[in-house]
Amino acid sequence: MRAKSLKDLLKKGDRVAVSNITGREARKVSSVSQCYCGNITGGWALGRGGQRVETPAGDIPVFATFEELLRYTEPEKRPNKILVYSPPEAVYGEVKEIADHGGGIVETIYIVTEHVSIEVTAKIHQIAHSMKMDVVGCNTLGIINTRERVRIGAVGGDNPQESFKPGSVTVISNSGNMVNTISSYLLSSGMGTSFGIPTGKDRLILFPMKDFLSLASRDKGTKIIVLYVEPGGTYEHDAIEMMRQEGFGKPIVVYVAGEIAERKGISLGHAGSVVEGGKSSARAKMEAFDDYFGIQPYKPHHHYRKSAELSASLKRGIRVTALHHIPAAVSLLTDTIGIKRDFGGAKPLFLNPWFVNLGELGTHLPQKLALSAGTIPEPYKTSVTKKIRTAGSGTIRQPMRNCSHASSNDGATPRIYGYSLLELMKRSSFVGSLVLYLTGELPASDFEERLAELTLTASLTNGPGTISAQGAKLSASAGNSPNTAMIATLAAIGTVHGGNGAKAVDFLLDRFEGTDIDDPYAKHPGIGELASKTAFEFKQKKLSAKEAGTEYDRIPCLGHPVFRTDPINFDPREQVIRDFIEEQGKTNVFLEFYHCLVKALKENGSTPHVLAVNLDAAVACVWLGICWKSLRSGKMTTERAKDIAFVAFAIGRAAGGAAEFLDHQDFGTEMDMRIPVSECRALSGPRNL
Amino acid sequence: MPQHVTEFTFLEHYAPRYGIPVPRHIPGTADVAAIRKRLEEWGGKAVVKPDVVSTGRGKAKGVVIVENVSDLMHELKRISSTDVGDRMPRLSYLEEFIPSKLEIYSAITYDTRSLCPSFTVSLNGGADVETIPDDQKATIPIDIFRGLDAYQASDLLSALSCPSGLVGILSRCFVAFWDLFVSTGLESAEINPWRVTPENKPYACDFKATVDGSNYKSRVPGIVIPEYPQDLSDFEEEMAEWNAKSHQGQAHVSDLGGKGILPVLFGGGVSTIITETLLMHGGDPMFLSDFGGNPPYERMLGTAQRCFSHRLKDARLLLILGGKANNTLIDVTFQAIADALAGWVEKHGRISIPVIVGRGGPNLISGLLAMKKTLEYLGLPYVIFGPDTPVTMVAEYAARLLHEMQGSTENHDESKKP
Repeated sequence: MRAKSLKDLLKKGDRVAVSNITGREARKVSSVSQCYCGNITGGWALGRGGQRVETPAGDIPVFATFEELLRYTEPEKRPNKILVYSPPEAVYGEVKEIADHGGGIVETIYIVTEHVSIEVTAKIHQIAHSMKMDVVGCNTLGIINTRERVRIGAVGGDNPQESFKPGSVTVISNSGNMVNTISSYLLSSGMGTSFGIPTGKDRLILFPMKDFLSLASRDKGTKIIVLYVEPGGTYEHDAIEMMRQEGFGKPIVVYVAGEIAERKGISLGHAGSVVEGGKSSARAKMEAFDDYFGIQPYKPHHHYRKSAELSASLKRGIRVTALHHIPAAVSLLTDTIGIKRDFGGAKPLFLNPWFVNLGELGTHLPQKLALSAGTIPEPYKTSVTKKIRTAGSGTIRQPMRNCSHASSNDGATPRIYGYSLLELMKRSSFVGSLVLYLTGELPASDFEERLAELTLTASLTNGPGTISAQGAKLSASAGNSPNTAMIATLAAIGTVHGGNGAKAVDFLLDRFEGTDIDDPYAKHPGIGELASKTAFEFKQKKLSAKEAGTEYDRIPCLGHPVFRTDPINFDPREQVIRDFIEEQGKTNVFLEFYHCLVKALKENGSTPHVLAVNLDAAVACVWLGICWKSLRSGKMTTERAKDIAFVAFAIGRAAGGAAEFLDHQDFGTEMDMRIPVSECRALSGPRNL
Repeated sequence: MPQHVTEFTFLEHYAPRYGIPVPRHIPGTADVAAIRKRLEEWGGKAVVKPDVVSTGRGKAKGVVIVENVSDLMHELKRISSTDVGDRMPRLSYLEEFIPSKLEIYSAITYDTRSLCPSFTVSLNGGADVETIPDDQKATIPIDIFRGLDAYQASDLLSALSCPSGLVGILSRCFVAFWDLFVSTGLESAEINPWRVTPENKPYACDFKATVDGSNYKSRVPGIVIPEYPQDLSDFEEEMAEWNAKSHQGQAHVSDLGGKGILPVLFGGGVSTIITETLLMHGGDPMFLSDFGGNPPYERMLGTAQRCFSHRLKDARLLLILGGKANNTLIDVTFQAIADALAGWVEKHGRISIPVIVGRGGPNLISGLLAMKKTLEYLGLPYVIFGPDTPVTMVAEYAARLLHEMQGSTENHDESKKP
């Protein structure tokens, strides 16, 4: 063993390189690690040299081999820790390469790979031992040093800080999952973690329990050690022997799994959990720990009276018989021995259901079993609220390769959401059928159908200079066919041009969340107040952002590049839609909200003029009105409602693009959209190779 | 399940390749005339053995010495159909009787302390190694790259006071044993006993080994390790086949014979703990399962479909439970389970058993909500827990709920089934 303390296995400032970093799992894990602690300086993968692994915290360079990684990495960034994510067949070659080139640089190798043969594992041990490198694994998940907020591998999953709060317990476990699980349970006893270490549970564990314990005994940050142990191997007996010989000074809480499974003849999941000989059984390990501790396993309802004898035993530790007794046993240790808890607010673990619907069954159950929903802790609660809002609840997911709710054809009748296309041709309009196809329901009234038609007509064009029309004209100028021109039109629509409708729906849904509006076409007295509140909040946000010198989110679909200088501005296309609604003696609460909002923004000084409510807003408001009932009943997802606003505009504009193409094809000159060289400006000077 | 090599496969394939001296033999399925002829050639005395995977010295109980054709034929038939321990033999076979003046024990395995292969020898062969006193056996570590050489073997034998006339020949046999071990990807192997004839000729008279399926060398060209009859249910057999199809995610199950809870569990360690908790509190789990390892959607769907198709109609409670995953995507796995459940109901009709769910890990909320949506759609009563409730508490709750339902079923209602 090269390491002299747990920190030697991982500390802040260590540089990590990842083998096979472009693989599915390695890429994902590296991305999370990079955001958590940013300690990965590079990776390598055969045939992938020169690529980069993108992460939110910056790209990681990929080299073809480890040797190349060392050659091209600045000396101060060369990795002293290696994470091996290669397939089993490649692991030996990777370790050989690390040993051949990383001597004097690499200190520890973590091998995550499962199914590495025992022969290769023994060879790895010998090679690494001769090079004075430590190897953890195979089949480990890595390690986390919580106090210094660094990790290697996947310990803590995609949110390590959730389970691993800095503290004084080191968790050492044969199971990777258990490191994460136990660490999160420990929080309930007011204890955080110092280190989280999954040993792996292959037949040969290259960094055995006794070595980890030995290092933990020297770790100043570790006051208590929690062990999760499975049957198989004699590592725990070796550890106990070491502790007895060396007079181990830190208390241990241990959970030994697998006794009943053993009795039932069930094979456990991990390769090394095979009982061979009496000493490797769960029962033998339990007895060995009990004997070492000198105290019976922890009993949750037992009243432990403080005494010198109890204190002496607990200084060695105690075994628990249920996983959820670990926090309580740790509390017993801290209270008896006098170890300070890492933080306050501890509360015991309890059954806390997040969602419950026991229906009829619940009425027949005794109170303690008829649970009701408890409190969902943060950050899950916010996530649940958000997801419920966007998920819809009408249908379930399934493979959709050969099926569709939207259409069907039994060989005789094509249908849209169950309605015969033939009947729709006879009795409905194109717009009515389109509403059905997009939303799953026919328009509720002629009024709704006409409104939809108005948005499609309005979306056809805003003149030949629009980006989308230019797309069609460019395509025609290049000699393309009409379908290509329509694609060019659609390709020229984006989040800024045309896509604002989706943002408007998102904005409106956020504002109207929690209102009791059932009919979007009836007048609603609270709209003015809602608009004022929104304007006030916007102004606050704008002011804080200005003070901080940061950007702020604009309200979507306000203003127009042409109609913008009058004291009160209007988009004439939006006006037609609004007038039609008024003529019908109805309203559209969303559009009215928008008009109240632009006034309120002017009144509170957020804008110098009353901004125009533009067509994108009108399209969004009309289609949100059409979708409102389905959204409220949970039949439609908010994602769909947002997309429909965009799709409606795109359908109109794609038709407009086709018309521009036809015109341009008939009357344009060849390549007339090309900008002459003389009109193009060079923004960079000539350079020599 | 690890794969085992029995003596019969050793006699047929391994020993001839590595030049290990073994008794002559013939399978019990051969012609009667051929068997009769062999017995005559071998001097009229032979040993009938079962070809069976057994632990310890279990097989010894099924071994019989015969000295005439009539007994021989009777024993071949009897032994081939008699369980050894709880295992059924694949066949019986006849082996030449080797008279011996000395029996020797030898084994090669990987040592968890020295983290390398080790070689153990005793001159008290024929017994279980754990029963041999420490001063009568010796173990040495083997350099994994250099292997076992004849000098090491002879030193070991000399240290055990082996008769000098035997040291050379046995050392050569041990080197051949190492060659076999390391060339065929074995994890552990035992030749026990070597029977040494009065003429100082050693014969390997019993063999057993475990194959390391992760070692490519275990797929020896020309050798197909036979399958042995196992006491597997149809469900276990189908799942084992499905499990072997891919390394992406585990699909491991072991039947427990329970009639209460159908457990869909995740994580090698957690699934064991949950099952133990269920057993401890009367949850009567149908099987132990481990479906972790981040299975993709199709893999998890196939796994869940198989579980439901075999066991859901008899289940009283469905438990979907795992710890706080590091890697496994909860949205993907839960969506697949939910889809498999909905598919089963669509095919077989509605059920009304409660579903208890508990999980933590990446994309948790999407996964839990997908499950909740499906359970509501199917009208199944449910309780869903997050990672703040320990898995063992959830398992305990599920067991108690089942217990309560069974009590009330006995009293009130027999129709909780589809």
